[in-house]
Amino acid sequence: MAVDADVVRLRRGDLNALSELITRYQNRLYRYLLRIVRQPAEAEDLFQQTWLRVVEKIRSFDASRNFDAWLFTLARNLAIDHLRRIHPQSLDEPLANSWHSETVADRIPCKDDTPLDHALAAERRTEISEAMAGLPMMYREVLTLRFEDEMNIEEIAQVTAAPVSTVKSRLRRSLEQLRYVLEARYPGGTWQ
Amino acid sequence: MSEHDKIRDLLALAAADALTSAEEKQVAEHVRSCIACSNELGAWRPIASELHRLPTPLPSSWLVQSTLARAEAKLTEQAEHDWNRRVMIAVVAFAWLLTIASWPVFHVVTGRFGGLLEPQLSHTRFSYTWISFAAFTALGWLAGGVAAVMLAVRQRGERRPA
Repeated sequence: MAVDADVVRLRRGDLNALSELITRYQNRLYRYLLRIVRQPAEAEDLFQQTWLRVVEKIRSFDASRNFDAWLFTLARNLAIDHLRRIHPQSLDEPLANSWHSETVADRIPCKDDTPLDHALAAERRTEISEAMAGLPMMYREVLTLRFEDEMNIEEIAQVTAAPVSTVKSRLRRSLEQLRYVLEARYPGGTWQ
Repeated sequence: MSEHDKIRDLLALAAADALTSAEEKQVAEHVRSCIACSNELGAWRPIASELHRLPTPLPSSWLVQSTLARAEAKLTEQAEHDWNRRVMIAVVAFAWLLTIASWPVFHVVTGRFGGLLEPQLSHTRFSYTWISFAAFTALGWLAGGVAAVMLAVRQRGERRPA
């Protein structure tokens, strides 16, 4: 595996490499944290903490390993510690008011052909986002890593420190639960 | 569990592209001959497709800039800390070298250099030489320690935000 040049430079204390890495990972990392904690203010705080932790720990990072997985593992550990401290129930339970809450993701415009397509697609994504936000943390996490970050099962297993079989079963159950929620809310597949 | 049930359990993962190539082959073969599973897979596809297309929430530029500033400050602080540690190690090593090198010098100055070479030293001469030397060394190290503490206190004061 080729060692990321920016990671090597950061290990030597290069400030430009730090800037490059933050720029490269900002969207993925922020999205991942937001999917886990669901509150933008908390995700922002964790985003900062994650990069400070990166600076602190970069020398102990084994350059032959996958930096993505290492970065997301740091972020995950901080997010889980945060959830345990602030909202212990949120690791297993959906937020009480998450069902109708608008997320930051819902406000992002998307590219579609006509105003009607645009409206329908936005509606579908809002429904999926809302359904996803209502799932337990472990399910939201595996969904965002697989579908939004496009990590494969082995990479997800590295990030979550879980066996591949557990990740697969978690992914299957998260999809089943998501579908169940969508179908319960929109009988007859009207959400599609 | 029948073959059909086993395949049915794999359909959600098939839509998520999370199967091994052997499992994929198994599912593809089964779906060709089973309408129920084919429909089921068809029901999973739009969910997977929409999940791939969820909009990405973007961090604000303020967040990115402030993160960069904080991380850079930490990196600089760490580099400074490392440099100070290296300097401290070098200074301590130099101090020890100087201390060891000063033994013969000390004896030359006190006119007792020859005594060092003698394997059997008299008790009095030994005490006089080595107690003086130990006092001299201890005084040096004490002065160095006090200076280091004063420097650390001053540095901490400078770091504290105004």
